[in-house]
Amino acid sequence: MDEIMEFEVLVFKALNQEMAINVEMVEIVIEQTEITPVPRARKIVEGVINLRGKIIPVISLPILLANESTSSYKKIIIAKVEDVEFGLMVDEVVGVLRVKSNELETNLGKMNTYGKKAKGLIKKDSRLIVYLNLEEILKEITGSEVA
Amino acid sequence: MGEFNEYLSVFIDESKEYIQLLNDSLLELEKNTSDVEQVNRAFRALHTLKGMAGTMGFEKLAKLCHRMENYLDVVRSGNVEITSDELDYLFAGLDMIEKMLQAIVNAGSDEIQEDTNSLIEVFERIAKGEKVKKSVKTQTLQESTEVSQVREFGKKEEKTGKVIIGESFAQEIIKDVLEEAAKKNIPAYHIIVNLQEGTQLKSARMYMVFHTLEEIGLEIINSIPPVEDIENEKFDLTVELMGVGNVPQEKIYDKVMGVSEVKNVIVKPLKIEIEKQSPEAKREKEEAEEKNKEQKKVKVTQTVRVDTEKLDTLMNLMGELVIARSRIADILKKYSIKEVDESLAQLSRITLDLQNIVMKVRMVPIEFVFNRFPRMVRDLSRNLGKEINFIMEGEETELDRTFVEVIGDPLVHLIRNAIDHGIETKEERIANGKPPIGTVKLSARHEGNNVVIEVEDDGRGMSREKILKKAVERGLVSEEKAATMPDEKIFEFIFLPGFSTKEQVSELSGRGVGMDAVKNTVESLNGSVSIESKLGKGTKVAIRLPLTLAIIQALLVKVNDYVYAIPISIIDSTLIINKDEIKVVQNEEVIVIRGEVIPLIKLWHVFDMQHEETPKEMNVVVVKSGTRKFGLTVDTLIGQEDIVIKSLGKIFSDVKIFSGGATLGDGSIALILDVGNIVEGI
Repeated sequence: MDEIMEFEVLVFKALNQEMAINVEMVEIVIEQTEITPVPRARKIVEGVINLRGKIIPVISLPILLANESTSSYKKIIIAKVEDVEFGLMVDEVVGVLRVKSNELETNLGKMNTYGKKAKGLIKKDSRLIVYLNLEEILKEITGSEVA
Repeated sequence: MGEFNEYLSVFIDESKEYIQLLNDSLLELEKNTSDVEQVNRAFRALHTLKGMAGTMGFEKLAKLCHRMENYLDVVRSGNVEITSDELDYLFAGLDMIEKMLQAIVNAGSDEIQEDTNSLIEVFERIAKGEKVKKSVKTQTLQESTEVSQVREFGKKEEKTGKVIIGESFAQEIIKDVLEEAAKKNIPAYHIIVNLQEGTQLKSARMYMVFHTLEEIGLEIINSIPPVEDIENEKFDLTVELMGVGNVPQEKIYDKVMGVSEVKNVIVKPLKIEIEKQSPEAKREKEEAEEKNKEQKKVKVTQTVRVDTEKLDTLMNLMGELVIARSRIADILKKYSIKEVDESLAQLSRITLDLQNIVMKVRMVPIEFVFNRFPRMVRDLSRNLGKEINFIMEGEETELDRTFVEVIGDPLVHLIRNAIDHGIETKEERIANGKPPIGTVKLSARHEGNNVVIEVEDDGRGMSREKILKKAVERGLVSEEKAATMPDEKIFEFIFLPGFSTKEQVSELSGRGVGMDAVKNTVESLNGSVSIESKLGKGTKVAIRLPLTLAIIQALLVKVNDYVYAIPISIIDSTLIINKDEIKVVQNEEVIVIRGEVIPLIKLWHVFDMQHEETPKEMNVVVVKSGTRKFGLTVDTLIGQEDIVIKSLGKIFSDVKIFSGGATLGDGSIALILDVGNIVEGI
């Protein structure tokens, strides 16, 4: 038997599902705020916000994951990955959840439409939560042209 | 390992400082080879370098420094005179030290390809060889024995070929400091501190003692037991200290007794034995003192090395504080509460002061850039066989540290140009009735909110005709128009890429690259370049930079309800145009202002925005890019404001039309236009 590891995730709702990211990468969650669009930026970048004087890009999860544009969101999760700060627009923040490593299904087979952007599926009681891979997402938004 | 790296970076930084010091004194020495003070300075720099290299385990570097130092020591004692040949060896040694340091930076080792051993041998020979020759002199006998005493330790090392590190260096440093103090008549003290029995925090108490002494201006140069042991409480109750400083004996006593749990203190003046010196040395001492009075003392300021990232954060937070304060002020204005007004006014004053200081923290003297030029000019003038009197002025002028990193290359280019193209050969100068030695002046000064850096030469100047001929040839201007063009306009041509009137391309400059690169670099810093030149008299190139990069003046404009910022430095004018003033030339929209045809760029096109194609009336901001002008259309002009530039970061690295963003007083964000890229259509 493998040793069972535990980790904490922040669960939120977007695209009518529950999703989660590693809590350690979360800086702060803020309310909906004015987003300044950046002309000529890639489509996944919704714009920039002023977070206590810092200018922070905000990523639209629906466009990133499903290429669906949406204007309804209530919160922005500010994440920091490899020293890059960015915001993720989400519908609702559910809370922090402690997950055991054996509750994370990494082999999704055909169900995995998000590709590398998801690390797997967290199965807890009757809930199914998509566990996002922020490092990979960052690679995608800083790397080659996506939009 | 991490700790070692930390030491290594300190070592590298400090070594660079000492290399610079050595460089400066060698250059001074070249002007006046009998300048004992400079020999001393060079000697001390090498000595410290040697010590540092030794402790870090860079044996080769230490060895080279050691031999150079030995040679200078012989010079110092007056036995050997420096000639230009020896100076060349010293410069070669300096170059090699620099190379080794670079190798340490790059690879962590002082191994370099160059043959260090032969140079080391040269130093050995010029130190020894000269001594033999000079030993004919009678009075030097006593001195040379003294020298050998001082050097005894080093000599032994040479024989056995051991690594030159160890405590003796510390001893020598102490000796140096004491000697130095004695020369300047600064008293030295031997202080014995006894703590009370049963003192709980002995190291903390001793720290208080050290701190108190340093506060009253006493420099502590040695302690028994060593500081590390004191810190680790590895001592009984007694600590002996050696200190130097212009502090009366009683004051030291009083201050140390003032530290709690100190039982008693003995303060004795420290006798320095090296005082018994030959008359020669005494004269040297007197001379040195005289020099000290004349020359401005080398400034010693207490400094702390700070990560520049922290400075940027500080600057950022500062900007926010200012904005938050004005927001509070705005809100409270509605209620006009007297008590609050007063505290608010105070808050305003404090934030303003704080802002000024934070701005200043980011500033560094331009010296950091200028430092390398004397050496460069020396090498260049030798290569080209031109004698140059190189003058630097205003090295203390401060500017934003971000400039310091980038302004060096353009200046190198301008100085090279001045020497290579500007200054004539000696014969030519004499034939033209000019002094045979050419003058190149590099100066910096503050002018309002700008820093002005000028490179001026008294050379042949630029020929209006030559430049015009070339410009007409290249179809840049029509012949008729050329005749009436003012000089400044004509000189601006040389900033165009690939524009060079020099028929012969030299090894150093005149390859057609350069002046346009100079201009680009300066403009990327929101600055400008201008040229003044008189044929036969000389040329002056002036670079004008804003005081700081972080804060710029910008015109805020609106397009589709979003605010954008345009740096004031590139704005020519603003105007309102009518729909029917727009003309179409080769499918491009242009406007004509005072006979000048200006291409129109509709910002809503650039931004891919939905917008009425051509409104009846439009605000146009005319901007300059290089020598060309463009009109940018916007919806409304809001006004001028100081903004703090913030980077948009990695995620927007593909967005070239903005150079950054700024947060405004109401918390919204204004993106800053990168006009250069916009007009290029990028």
